[in-house]
Amino acid sequence: MRSAAWRISLWATLAFACGTMLVFVFLHRFVADDIQRRSDAWLSGEIEVLEDVAERTPKDALYSRVVGEVAELASKEVPNKLPSDTGSNDSVFFLQTGSDGSLKLWVGAGSGELTLRAIKASAFLPDRPMDLHVSGFAIPFRVASLRLDDGTRIYLGLSERDELRVLRALGLRFVSLWFLLVLLGFGIVFFTTRRMLSHVREISEAASRIGHSDLNSRVPTTQRNDEVGNLARTLNRMLDRIESSMHQLHTITDSLAHDLRSPLTAIRGKLEMSLSAAQDEQIEPIVSAIEELDRLSEFLNQSLDVAEAKADALRLTPTEIELDELFRVMIDLYEPSMSERGLQIRLHSGGPMKVTADAALIHRMIANLFDNELKHLPAASSVTVQLKAQDDMALLVLEDDGPGFAAEVIQHLFERRVKGRESNGHGLGLAFVDAVVRAHGGAVTAGNREGGGARIVITLPLTSDALKNSAA
Amino acid sequence: MRLLLVEDELDIQSFLRSSLEEAGYQVEAAADGKSAERLAAEGVFDILIVDLGLPDMDGISLILRLRQLGVKAPVLILSARRSVDDRVRGLEQGGDDYLTKPFALAELLARLRNLLKRNSPPGNEATRLRVLDLELDLLRHEASRSGQILQLTPQEFVLLEYLCRNAGRVVTRSMILDQVWGMRIQPDTNVVDVHIYRLRGKVDGKGQQPLIRTLRGVGYVLKDR
Repeated sequence: MRSAAWRISLWATLAFACGTMLVFVFLHRFVADDIQRRSDAWLSGEIEVLEDVAERTPKDALYSRVVGEVAELASKEVPNKLPSDTGSNDSVFFLQTGSDGSLKLWVGAGSGELTLRAIKASAFLPDRPMDLHVSGFAIPFRVASLRLDDGTRIYLGLSERDELRVLRALGLRFVSLWFLLVLLGFGIVFFTTRRMLSHVREISEAASRIGHSDLNSRVPTTQRNDEVGNLARTLNRMLDRIESSMHQLHTITDSLAHDLRSPLTAIRGKLEMSLSAAQDEQIEPIVSAIEELDRLSEFLNQSLDVAEAKADALRLTPTEIELDELFRVMIDLYEPSMSERGLQIRLHSGGPMKVTADAALIHRMIANLFDNELKHLPAASSVTVQLKAQDDMALLVLEDDGPGFAAEVIQHLFERRVKGRESNGHGLGLAFVDAVVRAHGGAVTAGNREGGGARIVITLPLTSDALKNSAA
Repeated sequence: MRLLLVEDELDIQSFLRSSLEEAGYQVEAAADGKSAERLAAEGVFDILIVDLGLPDMDGISLILRLRQLGVKAPVLILSARRSVDDRVRGLEQGGDDYLTKPFALAELLARLRNLLKRNSPPGNEATRLRVLDLELDLLRHEASRSGQILQLTPQEFVLLEYLCRNAGRVVTRSMILDQVWGMRIQPDTNVVDVHIYRLRGKVDGKGQQPLIRTLRGVGYVLKDR
């Protein structure tokens, strides 16, 4: 769930980041063009002024001085002017070349020779400001030029340093703004998605809880008419149907049990009454009838349990059971019968182990397993019960060194009515064990050991409190 | 002892009535909730047997209704249902008991006796039990026959104690499993018989009168005369 929220937010943020980045790049370009246009306008304006001055100033000894002063003044009015690093004026130059292309007048930092060389190297278009890279200067100059009537050319150059500095500061600001926006966007998307998905998670958690225990409750619904709300309502309608078919199944098994048990009760009662009045030779058939009847009613119980469990509808009354103690009691109960038949039973237990389970069903399940061993093992065999905790499961391994399961039944051990050829049981045993274990969220596997003999492995979830305690 | 039997199956009602009467109860029987209410209002009963599936109302509702009417007698609930209802559990905690059909008569009678005993003022709990020449010291967990100490395992002692407490009465295998081992199971092997057989080997020595008797198809009795 969380990873889905992450994934969605990451993709959404990526798209958002690309979009906003495009916007900022465009804005930056726009601003850069605007600044360029402004400085070009300044350059064009200034150079016209200078042209005017240069034309009008008489070409005498003062010419250089006057034009130089004007150029110096102009450089003080540079747009976006920042204080220079060096203190001297290196952001503006003025250059006049004679009609032969030689340096005539230079105002600016340095000698102007380098600049002149750069100008000569570049193909200059008249009347339009251009970028000029002068060796020795990292930052190019924007240069405008005009041709005077007397054949000389004047050049006014403005260092793009200040312009670039402004643009860089703007870019930095744009990047941080963009980053903040992306972060904000990610946050909003992440939290909305997570909220949305947390509804879905609540629904799925509730649904799995319902699947395990009570069918009465429903997943939480919201008033909103969106997909999540619809999902919850659909799930609830489905649960309604499941609950009603479950109820139907319980009604059927209950009434079947009731309809069979009532006559069984009457028959048993009558048999018992006739037993008390019976003569010696009548006792035997009556006794065996009663025993058959008891076996029949136990079979009825188990097959209804198995039927319900197959439909995942076994009703449980869970209590806390201490498996180690329970097995000691059970082995105490079965040990005499086993040793009477020459069988040995041993318990290897990893100490107290608590599971939350339906006590009556677990008792019957263990009795079933032990009855099976009693009925099928040849004399002088031994049975080992191992009990240990593994992760959050109680692991129960029942092994014997008898003949093991017959090859023809081993594939179908957990199906109803499957029993070995020599078995006198009703063939419900392992199907019942499987049903009980699965109803408690565990698993059973059965097979033959390598050295011979049967091996049944049962896992049951440990009580979560016990887990906490053992972790502490 | 006056007993009200509420059971709609007439077959069951009739054999229960005769065996309960044989056991010394004065039995009034009703086949539905309405007549049960009427009978309960007319007379005073010491104990009730109520079947859960009545034609006109739920057995539990009947019991709750009778409780409202002031009937305080304990109730033995008979149930042919598969699962034990939570409400039955509630009643069980309130001092009533339940029995699933089909049941052995001996178990029904034992549960009735328990219910009556539970509701009578408690006497001093005996620390010694005596049945003929068999004696149990409950504090020291020692059993002796004719003064001779018996070598019993703890489990065998509990089993013998249970038989002694019910001396002269029949106990069934499922009663023994319930009371001694604490589980309501129905093994289809003879696990209980082997325990009894072993216990008998220790209790009934050579030349002594056999005390533990097997009633085939029913259960066991510890003889008290």
